[in-house]
Amino acid sequence: MFGLPVLSTRRQFPRARPSWTRTAGLVGAAMMLAIVGRAQENTGAPASPPPQNKPAEFVGSTTCQMCHEDIFNAFKNNPHHVVETDKKRGFENNACESCHGPGSKHIESLSAADIKQPAKLKPAETDRICLTCHRNQSTQSGRINSGHARNQVSCTACHTIGPHGLVARKPAEVNALCASCHTDVWAAFQKPYRHRLAEGAMSCVDCHNPHGSALPKQIRTTRFNEPGCAKCHGDKVGPFPFEHAPLRLEGCMTCHQPHGSANPRMLIRHEVRFVCMECHSNLPVPNPAANATLGTVGPAIHDLRSPRFQNCTLCHQKVHGSYADRALTK
Amino acid sequence: MRFLLAFLIAVAASAQPPAPPAQPPSKAPATPEAQAEAAAATPAKADDQAKPAEPAAPAEAGEKTPSPAPSPSEQWITGSVDFGYRRVGEAGNQPSYRGIVNLGSGPKLTGLDFTITDPKHRLFDRIDARANAWGGDPYNTAHIDARKRGVYELRADYRNIAYFNASPSFANPLAPGGFDEQSFDMRRRNGYVDLQLFPGRHFLPFLVFERNSGYGHGVGTWVQDSNDSFAVPMLLRDSANNYRGGFRLEYNRWHVTLEEEGTTYKNDNQASANGANRGDRTTPVLGGTEVLNTLTQTYGVRGSSVYSKVLATASPFSWLDLNGQFLYSEPKTDARYFDIASGNFALLSALLLYGGQYNIGASTTSGNHTLANAGVEIRPFKRLKIVTSFSGNRYKETGVGALTEQIVLKGSTYPALVAALNTPQDVTNNRQQVEAVFDVTGKITLRGGYRYVWGDATVLAGSLDQSGTLASGALQRSVALAGATIRPWRKLSLNVDYEGASTAQDYFRTDLYNYRKVRARAKYQASAALWFQANFALLDNQNPTQGVQYDFRSRDNSLAVFWMPNGGKRISILAEYDRSTLYSNIDFLLLPFFTPTVSSYKENGHTATSTIDLVLPTVAGIVPRLSAGGSLFIAAGSRASRYYQPLGRLSVPFQKHVQWNTEWRWYGYGEQLYQYEGFRAHIFMTGLKLTR
Repeated sequence: MFGLPVLSTRRQFPRARPSWTRTAGLVGAAMMLAIVGRAQENTGAPASPPPQNKPAEFVGSTTCQMCHEDIFNAFKNNPHHVVETDKKRGFENNACESCHGPGSKHIESLSAADIKQPAKLKPAETDRICLTCHRNQSTQSGRINSGHARNQVSCTACHTIGPHGLVARKPAEVNALCASCHTDVWAAFQKPYRHRLAEGAMSCVDCHNPHGSALPKQIRTTRFNEPGCAKCHGDKVGPFPFEHAPLRLEGCMTCHQPHGSANPRMLIRHEVRFVCMECHSNLPVPNPAANATLGTVGPAIHDLRSPRFQNCTLCHQKVHGSYADRALTK
Repeated sequence: MRFLLAFLIAVAASAQPPAPPAQPPSKAPATPEAQAEAAAATPAKADDQAKPAEPAAPAEAGEKTPSPAPSPSEQWITGSVDFGYRRVGEAGNQPSYRGIVNLGSGPKLTGLDFTITDPKHRLFDRIDARANAWGGDPYNTAHIDARKRGVYELRADYRNIAYFNASPSFANPLAPGGFDEQSFDMRRRNGYVDLQLFPGRHFLPFLVFERNSGYGHGVGTWVQDSNDSFAVPMLLRDSANNYRGGFRLEYNRWHVTLEEEGTTYKNDNQASANGANRGDRTTPVLGGTEVLNTLTQTYGVRGSSVYSKVLATASPFSWLDLNGQFLYSEPKTDARYFDIASGNFALLSALLLYGGQYNIGASTTSGNHTLANAGVEIRPFKRLKIVTSFSGNRYKETGVGALTEQIVLKGSTYPALVAALNTPQDVTNNRQQVEAVFDVTGKITLRGGYRYVWGDATVLAGSLDQSGTLASGALQRSVALAGATIRPWRKLSLNVDYEGASTAQDYFRTDLYNYRKVRARAKYQASAALWFQANFALLDNQNPTQGVQYDFRSRDNSLAVFWMPNGGKRISILAEYDRSTLYSNIDFLLLPFFTPTVSSYKENGHTATSTIDLVLPTVAGIVPRLSAGGSLFIAAGSRASRYYQPLGRLSVPFQKHVQWNTEWRWYGYGEQLYQYEGFRAHIFMTGLKLTR
């Protein structure tokens, strides 16, 4: 029905057995593939190329300067200019070619086809160039798991290594960059109740880490392991003696639409009672079924026909967690 | 924290200019920064927008190479200041206006942006600073970056965001005037100072201080038993300070970050009332009318935590990448609660009328929170990449304390109700994923994988739940992953992602259950001046469990067009249209008779945004620019509403460094059901932008 094979869920999901063995098998198989693959690639000594196919060689940045003087001069102010002194990787005096590749053929032919243009390469190839230096850095730590890496969004889709070394630091510029692909998300910020991105008071990277994160949707962590929401909404974090379970189990998005909503307080429903009652509708039973969900219905004193009870948070105002009351009223 | 703005200006003023340039500044070629700004002023092609959100550090950031000296023609300070006067004319519901727009009249500093370079590289190579929306605006920001290559990089940021929310329909949608509970008029201030040092090529220590605070007033509720609730004014005060420090070890094949943090937190909210308050209840209780005469309510919460973080990446072979993080914290809060109230109250359970009560509570809550993840990326062949990852998130908490509730009777005593608190919570969530990415050809990349998500939780049960004090839940979900990236030719790229999930057990009725999620994105560049972006997203979630019957479907289609003929020299147009639909049906129990009912929510939204930049004909050597556009949102369904934000802006550069800007904006908001919440506002602003 949902594009998945119809299976018995009981059989498919043994309750207490994590799929370690499955994953271990997959990882093991992948490792074997890798070893075999590397072995195959290394079989035999490579034949020396004929003279006309001789690989291009470094010519040095000063050679590039002869034709691209404006870029060369502007590049001096670029953070990447430090590559000019990188002896370890063999890029000393070859900063231009560290990204654009050896330029001897380009010098001979003067053809753009004989020089690499990272912004125009396949994303994986572009990333390979950037990660030559940037692979093991704290900013890249989550890249393996990030949605951008999965979807072949290359480094140069957001970063420019061009002559001016431009970086998006202003919130409005960061937002414009993200919105150029995430148009549907940007549309949500045009709704009346939203976070203040359009006003330039916030930016997408305040909440998301475009390089990846330990949390889903590349949500940033704050105080190390709290979702990024807590960075500004620190009073909602606790720990509270009386927690509201969804906060820890599913997060803020159980009740809120963080990008924007037509409903006040960015709620997922037009009236508060529906936000609450859609979960709090399980009858209290002594021995709940094994697959029962959390959230019992309130007592009958709550006459939802009366306006007084239609906004649950009027009384249960400490809905994010309370220091004093189990019913979250104070 | 306006001192920060003063500091920015002071730094600019105190920086010593270099020797006079050989050429007059007016004839000097623009600096790269100025060129950059000029480029930013014209809407750039999306792919060409050079704005890394969080730029990676240079490969050898610690290397002590001398910074390039600015050429003699470069100015030691460049930047701009944008200021003017705003006039707001509003009509309609003012609380709604303040909640949604909140711009006010008066003189404003709308933007300040400057860069200082020190050619002698004494204390810094370069300082970049900016400030926005000062002069009583609801969102004040300031930011400063200072760096000296090979020595340090300092970043400081400050934001002061007004939060006003007093929507009558939120408190009670059916009351004509609405209740005023749960309204806020406060400001949240966030700031940080981040200092990174570069004593060597591989060892990179850092220190960070962050602060988040809130202060303001609001209207809350004081709840008396289950009989009545009284709107009471509140004073809201909370703050959290974070101190962290650590170091990074960066080598070509591996990297480790070690970090320690401490946090202090406090919350001193108060509520008080004096005067007869008849509460929200309109019917008598035990024959009497409930009245709150006086109230004093105080919270005293102090919290602290230590945090540890270990982060490592490694590339032992060219075909293998590893990464892992381990984050651990031990948050703790100590809370004191006190309230004392007098009036006419009733206790239904004891059929008792009384005149006062007080509550005293104290609690200590401590937890430990572990978040860990690890990932492996293997590239056995050039075309194949296998990525596997695991993440685990465990939160364990224990709260202990006591609450004393004492009813005050005239001429007799009533036994105090003392409750001992013991509130454990234990939550574990795990996620494991394997995915293969295969380049079928140079133009087609396919992805496929599997994710397993599982967890369990023990939480406090509902307060009146007769089945016990604790409740348990579990999560077991399998997700199939698939996707493709296709580039049939260079001008067109397509990306499709699919997730299909089957769930055996969920925490909540409204969680994702059996769902399919599809996201497709296409980008087509028809010419150098024209390109299109289209997005499609679908989420279909079904939970057929008896008593739940959750049927959720959301769909979003958007199309964006960018047109910049001749590089946008005369005209550039950006237009975007988004069509979103959301449909949700779920069974719930309607109180007071526990009647099975369907909660239905629908939203049928249209959103459009556009910007047209037009260079007007030259008059007397002046080239004015006209911008027009804005956005609109129209929604039908459960909360039918309209929100318009058109704008027009005329910029006239009188001189090379002086530009006159005039702007008109209009905000219009209306709701179909709660018409009294609508507003409209004309906002007119005029001012100058000075650049150097």
